[in-house]
Amino acid sequence: MATDKTNIQLVVNGILNENPIFRLVLSMCPAVGISTTVMNGFMLGIAVLFVQVFSSCTISLFKNKIHPRIRIPTYTLTIATWVTVIDMVLAAYLPEAYAKMGIFIKLIVAFAIITMRLEMFACKESVNASFWDGIGMGLGFMFGMMALGFVRELLGMGTLLGYDVLGFKPLLFFVLPFAGFFCVGLMMAFFNYIEVVYKRSKRA
Amino acid sequence: MKDIVTIIVRLTISCLLAGIVMGGTFILTNKTKKENAIKNEQKVMLSLLGYSKEKPAPATLELHEIYRYLVTEKGAQFLGYLLPVSGSGHGDFTFVIIDLDGKFVSQTPVSISPEKVTETESRTPAVQSAIGQEKSLRYADQTIVVTRDQKREAYLLPGKFPGFKTFISVILALNQNFTILGLEIMEHEEDPGLGGEIVQKYFKNQFKGKPIETIKQIEVVKTPLPDEYRKALEADNGGALGADEVGKIEAQYSDKNIYALTGATISSRSLTEGVKGIIKKTAYRLAILDRVLQEQKIAVPF
Repeated sequence: MATDKTNIQLVVNGILNENPIFRLVLSMCPAVGISTTVMNGFMLGIAVLFVQVFSSCTISLFKNKIHPRIRIPTYTLTIATWVTVIDMVLAAYLPEAYAKMGIFIKLIVAFAIITMRLEMFACKESVNASFWDGIGMGLGFMFGMMALGFVRELLGMGTLLGYDVLGFKPLLFFVLPFAGFFCVGLMMAFFNYIEVVYKRSKRA
Repeated sequence: MKDIVTIIVRLTISCLLAGIVMGGTFILTNKTKKENAIKNEQKVMLSLLGYSKEKPAPATLELHEIYRYLVTEKGAQFLGYLLPVSGSGHGDFTFVIIDLDGKFVSQTPVSISPEKVTETESRTPAVQSAIGQEKSLRYADQTIVVTRDQKREAYLLPGKFPGFKTFISVILALNQNFTILGLEIMEHEEDPGLGGEIVQKYFKNQFKGKPIETIKQIEVVKTPLPDEYRKALEADNGGALGADEVGKIEAQYSDKNIYALTGATISSRSLTEGVKGIIKKTAYRLAILDRVLQEQKIAVPF
């Protein structure tokens, strides 16, 4: 079964139609826990993007060699390998970025979105399609995390990217972990609403 | 049955492949990682001495490393110090052996390049071949003597001691009178939020400015940290309080005990005991070493 979408459609699909956070509702732990600032969202997004692309390509490359009964362990192994490799490379060549990102990279091994994408897409499709799907999913995740971070940072601390923009803290409770649930829910509703309005205007 | 065999074979192959990829990356990146660690350590050392990017260290500032070894020969134990020798250019070191009572035993010249001397793996064999195979060597620790214009200015003491869970490794900076200039925690695995708080300024800066007489009898007390002291400890270069005010408050507390971290008495205590131990032992050993060097007229650049 090959996908009939073009590369650009695959990328857009990952960002909008199948956004990992707002549409697929996957990887909620980091979405709730870490999305307290825009910068956090960006860092984690970059890390997920790389791991997703590399893992998708690897699995797609070896898809005929993977025994169906051990596919999940193989996925986990692949993800863990890439996470370790990226972790070591960053630590060696970009120590400053690693000081900020290190903690996020190690978290990725347990992310549902990557395993799910390998299971749903990469193990059936060509390397090329998997590459673009990985990019789309990574960007979608980054977009979701940054959008959440934007709202939570602005409302919780009155800052954006660490700069003070409001000058006061409107609702401190937005930076607390449980506010992540409210935030994800509200934003999901918001995006669904936009979609409904968009579809209605298209029909009319 | 056939299924199980293929599953085992394929899983083994995937694991091996993953292992090779990870191992390969480790081999490729390890050297750079180590270099980074050394660079970071040097940066920390300079910042402990009060130098930074804005205030670079003067060119006359030099770091001289002394490596201490435990030497065993026929059941008797000695201390060995690998020291740089002044005057004759780079790559000249001497290995001075002193017995446990502080008496001079022997001195052997060691030739080793300045790059190799920083690595334990290449340094120890060089020392071993210089002093002969019948003596057994064990590396103990290193002390860095900081000189400025050929005068001793400070000591940097990297050290490692047991914490609550595993080892805590630190770098201590002392001035020539063994008053603590600063303390930096390089590695630790204490519980985050409890013992992990040892890296916070309000804890580690408590050691700053304490003279050796205080350190020798310092203890950990479980009374809450006074507010003004906390503010002074957390201030960066004076901060809102102003450098004078911070200095005044720190001087006022310089002979006080260490205030324990809430919920981490053992971590606080082990750090305090560790620092105390390092300073006491180093001061004692350096006094002996200095006396021996003077008696034997060994010229060193510090």
